[in-house]
Amino acid sequence: MSKSPIDKLGEQLTRRLAGYSSRRSFLARLGMALSATPVLPLLPVARASATDAPKTDFERYAQTTDPTKCNYWKYCASDGVLCSCCGGGSHTCPPGAEPSPISWIGTCVNPENGRSYVIAYRDCCGKPICSAGKSCFCDGGDRELPTYRSPLNNDIIWCFGKASASYHCSTAALLGLADAAHK
Amino acid sequence: MPGGEFSAPQRDYILACAGCHGIQGFSNPNLVPSLQGLVGYFLELPEGRAYLSRLPNVAFSTLSDERLAAVLNYMVFEIGGASAPVGTRPYAAAEVGELRKQPLTEVALSAYRRQLVETLILRYQAPVTLRGYGATTAP
Repeated sequence: MSKSPIDKLGEQLTRRLAGYSSRRSFLARLGMALSATPVLPLLPVARASATDAPKTDFERYAQTTDPTKCNYWKYCASDGVLCSCCGGGSHTCPPGAEPSPISWIGTCVNPENGRSYVIAYRDCCGKPICSAGKSCFCDGGDRELPTYRSPLNNDIIWCFGKASASYHCSTAALLGLADAAHK
Repeated sequence: MPGGEFSAPQRDYILACAGCHGIQGFSNPNLVPSLQGLVGYFLELPEGRAYLSRLPNVAFSTLSDERLAAVLNYMVFEIGGASAPVGTRPYAAAEVGELRKQPLTEVALSAYRRQLVETLILRYQAPVTLRGYGATTAP
């Protein structure tokens, strides 16, 4: 049976290929290609699933030692004067001021272990605004939403409902781990 | 409890509701309704069951139907405790998905709630503390 032109062409190509290449060189090249693959960058999709959300600006510079600085890790969404600069603590009101009946709750990442924690932001009320140094006026905004999503907005003063609704300073109380439910 | 771990619905409740309603469901009832030991009474009535899902801040939540249903169930059965009627079926995701499409945006919310609360007190022996919220604004 005579061969078709296509068969002839195929045979010629195969014989030519076999003539100047060896199985060993093919395997060597395949091996190189396989071993080089992990060096290549992953696609963005793969990267997104491999790690958590990218760090916010706040998280890049957050510290865990000085609660009188705006970059203290729990203040990632603190908007106001730090009570820790006004005779109170990071989560306690100064003498004479009362915690607001309402707070807003968000999450901050602790840079020491990279885990996310639930933080309650509560205002201290009933005294005029604390006159601390400029470095104590903070404006963190991680995971904050606009004012029309009021429960997740930190521009609102939460002192309404108290006998005196005047705002004194802001605190941030740690409630617990935020990321445990998703592990 | 600092450092403690939360269940998924508890975490969603804390992040989305607890700022006003309190982590344990205790709040200043002059500002927002207190939920602890009370919120389950609303499930005595079909309108009450729907009401909890149709409240604007519930219906407009950024949570999925599944997670929102889980939060409502956490709120009713855990925080509401014994106030949930015996044998109450939990909220289903599909049910919440339908209810949240009809948010209560066209009614006077305080009056609507007061009407439900009065029925619950009169017919279902709900405690008068349910009246707490809205008491200062009642006519």
